[in-house]
Amino acid sequence: MAKRTPSIDTKNLTAVQLMELDSCVRCGECVKWCPTYAASGGKPGLAPRDKILRWKQFMNKSYGFKAKIFGPQEIPQSELEEFKDDIYGCTTCGVCGTVCEAGINTVELWEALRTNLVKKGIGPYGKLGAIPKMIKQYHNAYMLDQKDRLAWVPADVKIADKADIVYFTGCTAGYKQLSLAFATSRVLNKLGVKFAMLGEDEWCCGSNPIRTGQIGYEQVAHEAARHNVEALKKKGAKKVLFACAGCFRAAKIDWPRLLGQELPFEVVHITQFLADLIKEDKIKWEKSINKTVTYHDPCHLGRHVGVFNAPRFVLSHIPGVKFVEMERSKEFQRCCGAGGGVKAGMGDLAVAIGEARVKDALETNADILSSACPFCKRNLSDGRDSLKAHIDVEDVIELVAEALGLSTT
Amino acid sequence: MTFVQVMIMATLALVIFLYGLMVNFQKWGTGVTGYNLEPQAGKKGSAITFLKTWWKQVTAESHHGHGILETLILDIVFQRRILKRSPFRWIMHLFIFGGWMTLFALSGMMFAVEMIEKIGIELPFTPDVFRDWLSIPNYIFGYILLIGVLIAIVRRLFVSEVREASITYDWVLIGVIFIVTISGFLADGIRTGLIWSFGLDPSAAPPAALFHSIFSLFFCIAFIPYSKYIHVIAIPLALLANKGGE
Repeated sequence: MAKRTPSIDTKNLTAVQLMELDSCVRCGECVKWCPTYAASGGKPGLAPRDKILRWKQFMNKSYGFKAKIFGPQEIPQSELEEFKDDIYGCTTCGVCGTVCEAGINTVELWEALRTNLVKKGIGPYGKLGAIPKMIKQYHNAYMLDQKDRLAWVPADVKIADKADIVYFTGCTAGYKQLSLAFATSRVLNKLGVKFAMLGEDEWCCGSNPIRTGQIGYEQVAHEAARHNVEALKKKGAKKVLFACAGCFRAAKIDWPRLLGQELPFEVVHITQFLADLIKEDKIKWEKSINKTVTYHDPCHLGRHVGVFNAPRFVLSHIPGVKFVEMERSKEFQRCCGAGGGVKAGMGDLAVAIGEARVKDALETNADILSSACPFCKRNLSDGRDSLKAHIDVEDVIELVAEALGLSTT
Repeated sequence: MTFVQVMIMATLALVIFLYGLMVNFQKWGTGVTGYNLEPQAGKKGSAITFLKTWWKQVTAESHHGHGILETLILDIVFQRRILKRSPFRWIMHLFIFGGWMTLFALSGMMFAVEMIEKIGIELPFTPDVFRDWLSIPNYIFGYILLIGVLIAIVRRLFVSEVREASITYDWVLIGVIFIVTISGFLADGIRTGLIWSFGLDPSAAPPAALFHSIFSLFFCIAFIPYSKYIHVIAIPLALLANKGGE
């Protein structure tokens, strides 16, 4: 009789990640903080420690002590399918890693497990599989024409053909949340910052395929990184500005890793750029906002990269802004619910998480819930609408534009 | 005869431990050596692959500036990640960890003195005198361990969220430490006739000590790679690889 082969393999899982599975002591801290577990009403399978336990059991059945002696034990397909559903019910926000007493790098682990399941033909979840195909064909996930990348640019905005500073708009701000693009470009013009844009040469940053385990799909993420870096170089970029936290994270962490080299330009989030200008006293405010504002840290800007202070610094310098913190903030922030493919794949779960975050904001009695990412803005707005709550959701750059007397429409 | 029995058992426990550790290293070594890679076709898991991958990660530059020494002292010995999350659980774990490691070290020292005497090297004290010297630190750290274990048991029994989430995997760990700790106190109590003797005849001391020693050898050394105890190896390795974690 032929020896059974293991039901799983270890593609994309590093030797250290496999060891990390055995370092989990099931202390339960991750469960207390996980936003999807809470929003699901405590579905056990969504608890990070439960996912770790299950994959550990799969590993032991396939490569452990008993498997070594008696051969691998078969894992039913239904168990693997259920595991897939749960591993995709995660925004990859990373709070589980922040509070993990064993120091497990959970974001990398979830992404590696997703990639592993995709390669096995089990993942991705639902319609998420269509996104890399769309990016491959259209270079954006909205199936819109690349020629329209700059269709939003109003007549009053001046964009240089080449410049040291390049504004990377991102698909969501450039096609869907135009107020962010209006605000960013007008603020830069107002501050006398000469900047260029890539226009139809700007491709999707590749964040979605990477976060959803589809990094291997026809090299779409690698191509996106390679193409964007080359296009930015051609524009003469020394500094690339991002107002989208997802694109910022992709450029800062994923692009160098995919390309195997440091980028030939500086990757800067717009809030960091503005904070520096404020410190140099280069911003002359024209209007007072006179509102209480709280700030939601986008996971991709905060926990993933470590930019916590710049957005707060900017907000607290806008005239009339009374800045208040939510109870869960900075590295312990609660995710908005949009990331990791949850918004695209499990819309109801995403809105439930968004609602929880809006409730956090309502507890502060803030008038405005601000963030620094178009994706966060969208899901927080959906959460707000679902709750029928009275709180404005605005990006930091929109508030800056308003305080500079600029229109965002 | 007892010494020979214990030596045989200790060797056996060590062999079982090392074999289990090797199986775990090989299991971890089925993983890939870097980001977004696939294992080579037909290649089995190798302990060397694991160790090389781990070392590469340990020596890679830290993105948050934590060095190996800082991780070693603050995260592994002082366990600051637990302290940040729950001071109560930190005390519990530090008591178990500190009590356990110190008793392990003291037992190792006692074993070394007995071995030195057996091979005929003269020391300025006899093993019996040395055992008496160790009795106070043994008691102190034994009680520290016992307090930690009792807190752990009470938490698992009476804190509903902990109780409901507990599985056999968790209970075995605490149960074994509890038996080892209690059997240690009993063996010593019967030998000295002080507290923990429960009026038992001193002639019961050797079998009680033998039970404690063999149970400890098998369930606290040999059992490590096959149970939740593996965390005592995996967590320090993970913390070092991740520079103390996020």
